[in-house]
Amino acid sequence: MGKLIGIACILALLCIGLAIQEPKFFQERNILNLSRQIGFLGIYAMGAGIVIITGGIDLSVGSLMGLIGVLLAMSLTEWGLAVPAAVLFCLVVAALLGWTHGFLITKARLQPFVVTLCGLLIYRGAARYIAEDSTRGFGSGFTTFKKLANGHIGPIPYSLILMFAIALGLIFLIHFSVYGRHLFAVGGNEQAARFSGVPVNRVKTIAYILAALLTCVAGILIALYTNAIQPASHGQFYELYAIAAAVLGGCSLRGGEGTVIGVILGATLIQILWNAVTLLGIESYLEYAVIGGVILISAIADEVLRTRFRRVG
Amino acid sequence: MHFTKTQIAIAFAMAIFFGCGNPSPESEAPKSSEPTESAASSTEKPTFAFVTNNASNFWAIAKKGLDKAEEDFDIIVDFQQPPTGTIADQRRIIENLLNKGIDGISVSPIDAENQSDFLKEVADQVPLLCHDSDAPQSGRLAYVGTNNFKAGVEAGKLIKEVLPEGGQIMLFVGLLDAQNAQDRKAGIEKELEGSGIEILDTRTDGVDTAKARANAEDAMVSNPDLDCLVGLWSYNGPALADAVKGSNKVGDIDIVCFDEDGSTLQAIQDGIIHGTVVQQPYQMGYQSMALLKKIHDEGAEKAVPEGGVIDTGVQIVRKDNVEQFWADLKKLTGED
Repeated sequence: MGKLIGIACILALLCIGLAIQEPKFFQERNILNLSRQIGFLGIYAMGAGIVIITGGIDLSVGSLMGLIGVLLAMSLTEWGLAVPAAVLFCLVVAALLGWTHGFLITKARLQPFVVTLCGLLIYRGAARYIAEDSTRGFGSGFTTFKKLANGHIGPIPYSLILMFAIALGLIFLIHFSVYGRHLFAVGGNEQAARFSGVPVNRVKTIAYILAALLTCVAGILIALYTNAIQPASHGQFYELYAIAAAVLGGCSLRGGEGTVIGVILGATLIQILWNAVTLLGIESYLEYAVIGGVILISAIADEVLRTRFRRVG
Repeated sequence: MHFTKTQIAIAFAMAIFFGCGNPSPESEAPKSSEPTESAASSTEKPTFAFVTNNASNFWAIAKKGLDKAEEDFDIIVDFQQPPTGTIADQRRIIENLLNKGIDGISVSPIDAENQSDFLKEVADQVPLLCHDSDAPQSGRLAYVGTNNFKAGVEAGKLIKEVLPEGGQIMLFVGLLDAQNAQDRKAGIEKELEGSGIEILDTRTDGVDTAKARANAEDAMVSNPDLDCLVGLWSYNGPALADAVKGSNKVGDIDIVCFDEDGSTLQAIQDGIIHGTVVQQPYQMGYQSMALLKKIHDEGAEKAVPEGGVIDTGVQIVRKDNVEQFWADLKKLTGED
């Protein structure tokens, strides 16, 4: 709870500051653009969060997104698959890769960092190889399908609605189901969980499959949003944004800690920062520095607030 | 002990998979010929490398020019694209090519000024050309490409066409430290002097297409009086078009951009983009290889034209000529 209060305070402060500095922040158009981006990041950050709760890490997010983008574009425009078939194909590929991560981590006992780092390199190479290193896109067709990323009801984009729908499902799965209790048990103390009969391997493997599936969903949305997938750079560094969102949202890299709502708040904070940098007209060169600085300050403030909260409570 | 074996097996499998998944210069054998045949004939056919500054569709067109050159001049072309568009990547690729042994190289430097020292080392070893972006201090024998300042001036003229009374514009580009981005910007600025058109800002996206579009969307919110968006790199045009379309500002905000991405041409047809300044990447590919071959056969002194520059020229594409241009392009790239 303390973690959530910390980040919620920082978010509120940031929004108030922005509203005073730049009233255009609350314009309907900006809210729409911003919440669309939050939807994208929120979806794949939740995947990163689940893996982090197990005490693992997923570094393959950005490359997997590049691969999914390439596969989606090529299966629609070149291999002649129908939209549902292409989406299903991407989901199956992602699930298989997620399962492979889980298998290598639980059965071959490789470290998650190593396995997903290899994933990062392999999927990027595979995406470039399959696309022959040239940009793939959807052209001007598939307008209905593209609405998934670009469409909205009033000021609420579909991507945000989809994120909330997924979040609801995950809140139930992680906070109110047996699997969820096992997940936290494994992340908290794997040895103890194993001795108390928790199917550790299965719990972990499912976490990596979920992460890959969520990355795939977000990857499809982002591919439709950009309408052009440069296999060499599409999605680069996105794993870091996902990890930052999850950690800001209260997931501990030591495992066993984290909430779905926290991750969504973390994703919101990061996207508001990107948005603010442009709205306030901060030089492009400073973007990363500003965002890194604010994340650092948030992490420190969060730590301070949390200890204070504990003492008072 | 049981797991050590498994681990070794997996490590092996990964190494093999890795080897084929990530195309390295060694594995990038020319696709047109059989591996055995190319190994046998590589002693006779000169091999030239063509290194781009990033991986985008622009270079796919240049690749067609390279393919044609391979046929016409009986050479082998090693086509390499730095995946992340960073200097480190490009340097690694060029060093690998030199180790492998090539007879000449044409490079599109990412940061001409700061790469000059490294490129000098390259020029000491093999004949070096620059294409697309020039590095005059590098000891390159010639530059084959667009005069980007002139191209910027042409873009400036297009901007004036949509804003005859003056107005506010913003520029969008991947990285501003590339020479071609700086030259284009300088050309635009020169042409717009005294026109009443104000450049509010230049936003960079670090070669991330999603960021490019988000940048434009945010810019339109923060500057409601913006009249025209200008995209300096090939993927910026489509990103700007998507942003304007998504914000329901088609007709209110004009777009001027560079290069001939399919989505750019489509957006010109749809009236979202006013016009684009098109380079001739096919010519860059073809002519750089033609020149390298000539240098290989006749020596640099005889082969390199005076001034050391081959201007591949630009073309202006607007709604009135987009159909013809696109048809020609498709013929050139063999899409039809």
